[in-house]
Amino acid sequence: MPALARELRSLLSSRRLLWVMAQREMAARYAGTAAGMLWAYAQPLLTAAAYYLVFDIVFAMRLGEHAPTRAVGIYLIAGMLPWMAFCEALSRGMSSLLDAGGVLQKNALPPVLFVARSVLASTVIHAPLLLGLALLYGPQHHFQPALATLLPLLALQLALCLVWGYALAILAAALRDTVQLVGFALSVGVFLSPVLFPMAMFPQDWRWVLWLNPMTPWVASYQTVLLQGAWPLVQNWAAALVWIALGAILLEVLLRRSRDELVDWL
Amino acid sequence: MTPPAQTAPVLRVEGLGKEYRLYASPRSRLKALLTGRAAHRSHWALQDVSFTLRRGQCLGVIGNNGAGKSSLLKMLAGTMHSSTGLLERQGRVTAILELGAGFHPDFTGRDNLYFGGSLIGIDAAAMRSLEAEIIAFSELGEAIDRPVKTYSSGMVVRLAFALVTAVEPDLLIIDEALAVGDQHFQKKCVERIEQFRRNGCTILFCSHSLYHVRQLCDAALWLDKGVQRAFGDTEDVLAAYEAFVRSQDGEPDVPAVASPSPSTQASPPPGQASIVSAQVAHLAQVDDSTVPVLQSPDLELTVTVQAPPGECPCIGMMLEQAHGVGVTSTSTQKAGVTPRHLGDGRWQARLRFPALPLHTGEYVISVYLFDSHGLVVYEQWMRCVHFRHVFAQSVPGLVRLPHVWD
Repeated sequence: MPALARELRSLLSSRRLLWVMAQREMAARYAGTAAGMLWAYAQPLLTAAAYYLVFDIVFAMRLGEHAPTRAVGIYLIAGMLPWMAFCEALSRGMSSLLDAGGVLQKNALPPVLFVARSVLASTVIHAPLLLGLALLYGPQHHFQPALATLLPLLALQLALCLVWGYALAILAAALRDTVQLVGFALSVGVFLSPVLFPMAMFPQDWRWVLWLNPMTPWVASYQTVLLQGAWPLVQNWAAALVWIALGAILLEVLLRRSRDELVDWL
Repeated sequence: MTPPAQTAPVLRVEGLGKEYRLYASPRSRLKALLTGRAAHRSHWALQDVSFTLRRGQCLGVIGNNGAGKSSLLKMLAGTMHSSTGLLERQGRVTAILELGAGFHPDFTGRDNLYFGGSLIGIDAAAMRSLEAEIIAFSELGEAIDRPVKTYSSGMVVRLAFALVTAVEPDLLIIDEALAVGDQHFQKKCVERIEQFRRNGCTILFCSHSLYHVRQLCDAALWLDKGVQRAFGDTEDVLAAYEAFVRSQDGEPDVPAVASPSPSTQASPPPGQASIVSAQVAHLAQVDDSTVPVLQSPDLELTVTVQAPPGECPCIGMMLEQAHGVGVTSTSTQKAGVTPRHLGDGRWQARLRFPALPLHTGEYVISVYLFDSHGLVVYEQWMRCVHFRHVFAQSVPGLVRLPHVWD
């Protein structure tokens, strides 16, 4: 994959600039607000608090026997926070090139920097929240060593968002409708994943549909690690790698075909 | 200094071309992207451009709109990929394509300075040592710690120019950027660019101002509809371009032709350089024509200007046929003359062409006010005086050149 390798080399050689840009992106998202960066954490934290209060305290709802935990709120939070992190990183990565069109046309900078900046900024904001869940859920299973897999899971999620975010950014540059289509897919995608209900509750004949959602292996793995303190299943690792590989192949093809004219489309 | 021809090339361009692929719709563009099948029409914005620039050379890129000048500059600056050809650049390249692009309005000027610096290869440590000089050059003072959204457009441009030129490049690419900010800042910009040039920086700039190309460049490149028409000595290339423009015979985009301006200005803004009046003596209305006739064999032009405090300006003029070609141009700087100081920042120059050696015809005069070096155009009144000259013994032709029959 020569095109992808070239982009990676460019990213590595500009890593200091990438970090500066990611910091700037984080500050810019909430520039002019009184609470600043706190807003980045307010939405996921308030969502988690609402789930816990509504499902576990007010209604005290319980999941069935095959679920990894009985409390609905606790179950939802473990899947919803990674899903929210994925949605934000992917959406921002996808629109990063369109947003940076003016800068890219006036500065000799590799486009990959802008996608990586947006995805990295979103990951840096959400990673502490996901790792914080380990502290909240750890006591349930006495902090099992499997919690350490959160770090590689996060790293793989970053890779997933990077390759798919970049591929979608190129598609969005070619056809702006991509942004609308992906926005719709993300709002529907939560129902085609184990975020809202355990995989076991999904009809057996339709369970394959869940694997069409790239986040399914991650959500299932986070739930296994956080709720049960168990190691993620091999099939989930494999599915995660397949999704990253598919994204990389698509990205390689798109990079080759758009290399000379990508900035012209912005 | 080593002559340019003997130094290593800073920029080498060979067979450079840029193809824009035009798709019938964004959908067909997406389809082509996904299937890999060509579904476009080609538009070559630039084809087969070749030239070499050595250290210390200054190249002016000229041509009508749509000639491919901006595409060339973007490729040289690295913001656009070329479709064909070879491009080699040596050393630090700075491009002034659009000043202020990338500034975030909610951040302070100082924040933007550090971030903008990182985008052009000036890291935080280097910026700390350059910061004071940049702020001083931009003349922003305490405003540097205010959000950029509170700046005027001139302040943004000043900060951006000070930033991009903070480190002297090996190759400076400028796209019509000599007309930035107010008169005072334009002068500073030109002086900084001149300083770079004196230090051996290679400069490539694209301009519609043939005056500036003549003044600054030792080589010129003429592009026409994406094709390189000429490259070489400035005067040779400009002469060919000017002949081409004349041959276009009234097509749009003839350089430096504007609507007539008044020959006097009632009250120039205080402290700002401006032309106050431009008057030709001995003009009179002799018939129903709206064009006055010169009543004297001599053409006598008096130009009064207002200059910035403490500066002795340069005053220039151009005489052209009303519906034809330029006849002559001159300036006080070229002639080594100092305009007469009238006090209170006003200066006056009087120019006389004894026994005006032109045949009968209609002529127009344009006047220019430059800075003391003749580089910054403070103000220009294009075709501001229109007159008819009658020479009784006229014969076909334009001028009466001194001559001898043997």
